[in-house]
Amino acid sequence: MSASIEKGINALKRQVDSTVAAFFSSCVHCGLCAEACLFYTETGDPRRTPINKTEPLRRIWKSEFTLMGRVGKMLGLTKKVDDKLLEEWQELVYDSCTLCGRCSMVCPVGNDIALMIRKTREGMAAAGQAPEGLIGATNRSVTIGSPMGVKWPALRAQIKHVEEDTGLKIPVDIPDVEYMLLLSSMEIMNFPEFIEAVAKIFDKAGATWTISSEAFEATNSGIQIGVSDIAAELVQRIVDVADKLKVKTVISPECGHAYMAIRWDGPNLVGKPFNFKVRHILEVLDDLRKDGRLKLSGRETQKLTYHDPCQISRRGGVIDEPRRLIDMFAEDFVEMPDAGKMNWCCGAGGGVSANERADEIRLKVFERKKAQLDEVKPDAIISACSNCRIHLEDGLEEYNMDIPLLSLTETIAEHLSDD
Amino acid sequence: MNDISNEADFRRVLESLGDVQQRQVAILFVKHVLHLSDDKRLERVIKTAADPQATEEELAASLKLAHAVTFDSHARCGAEGQWSDQAGYFVARAAVAATTSPEHSRVGGAAWQAAMQARMAYTTMLIDADTDQHSAHTECEWQYQCLSGYLND
Repeated sequence: MSASIEKGINALKRQVDSTVAAFFSSCVHCGLCAEACLFYTETGDPRRTPINKTEPLRRIWKSEFTLMGRVGKMLGLTKKVDDKLLEEWQELVYDSCTLCGRCSMVCPVGNDIALMIRKTREGMAAAGQAPEGLIGATNRSVTIGSPMGVKWPALRAQIKHVEEDTGLKIPVDIPDVEYMLLLSSMEIMNFPEFIEAVAKIFDKAGATWTISSEAFEATNSGIQIGVSDIAAELVQRIVDVADKLKVKTVISPECGHAYMAIRWDGPNLVGKPFNFKVRHILEVLDDLRKDGRLKLSGRETQKLTYHDPCQISRRGGVIDEPRRLIDMFAEDFVEMPDAGKMNWCCGAGGGVSANERADEIRLKVFERKKAQLDEVKPDAIISACSNCRIHLEDGLEEYNMDIPLLSLTETIAEHLSDD
Repeated sequence: MNDISNEADFRRVLESLGDVQQRQVAILFVKHVLHLSDDKRLERVIKTAADPQATEEELAASLKLAHAVTFDSHARCGAEGQWSDQAGYFVARAAVAATTSPEHSRVGGAAWQAAMQARMAYTTMLIDADTDQHSAHTECEWQYQCLSGYLND
């Protein structure tokens, strides 16, 4: 047995707990999860069914944690977990799963299949069976603080640019404020307008806020690749700064998995409750709306629809907030079929977009999103995840669909009332 | 005699321009940063957009081409970002702004949107230069002068 596979097997063993045991014991092999997964529905490939992606973890559970499995192992009858299996499964576990959680929603016995796939990734990563793109992103997150290598001087330059354009001061490292805004590297590099939008909205709302020069990155590659220790370290960096600055609320930006990582996984990863709240930017904006601190003017007359980012809507529960916000400026809003908690993933989450090897299948499964859009034929699509946004644009280009993408936060900033 | 020297006047004047003027000024802004992109397709985009005889179909094809350059040049999620390459992405977005039809232009209009993206291109280029003097101020000043000159012609 090679050292890497031993590490992988040990990591998989560590993942087996009562949840995992209950999962594999209760699975009734109904196949409903298959029909909920766009990597199966759009390819018809039975290897890509959600339950099959957990096979390495299932084999470890069966051979190490069940009586029949142990007997079978002694007799040499059980299926092994070896380098060949993990190498074969790498493409299924990383390229063909966005951890969108749609499979978990339809499981008749209530198993969180997406969580099981994430646990499977723990073993894959420990065995060195993770995509190069994700390994690079994770290494940069640990050493630099950003999966894309964005350093503070680069963000400082973007902040200066925003200040010059708007005449507004962007607060940095200010203690005792209401909000500490996190950003994703995608926003800093591709959509710096997001910073400008938040600055304008908070200025109008009279909100006190800051960006930290020590911990501004929201994304968490540890979650995506499946290394809990790294995921915990990245969360802890934010916790340390938020505690130091004594902020009341940490804001997760327009990034899907960042929200899951810091809000729902975060306290469990670091092993204690936070001293501050965590909210998605859309929740914060909706609170400002409720408090009468967000006033908009002008209406969008084009037909708009909203793409629910999986980690924000389905996994995060932020479904009504974006719709209430859109209602403030949209004249003609239409819902795609399956919108809300059962929305279909764009196909690029969970580290898929960071994995060049997955480009072909990522665009292939976009056919599901295309079908949703064909049903309602919008003039523009609104979303609240910069990764969804980039991939939707990519998919629309691939399928010759001319539909602009809008950020919800940026669109709100465009409609801010002058009063 | 127009002499624009501040951001408020700059934006007010840009918003007062008609559709044709918006596009003409947007093209001037894009041309000034075109050298920051190594994608030659953008030269074709701007050449078509600047041609008063261009048909609707040709302009639509130019917009599609500008979009394609944007997709090809954006920083990939999780990939190591190169700021000097990223300047080309913002040049492409400026070209998209300049070629978007007036009814689909976002707030501020085509010229304002192109101006912002051109400044971003300049900013990102300076980030890689690893200097503390990060500023798009020079580009702003140039845009003020450019607009003043356009109005005075």
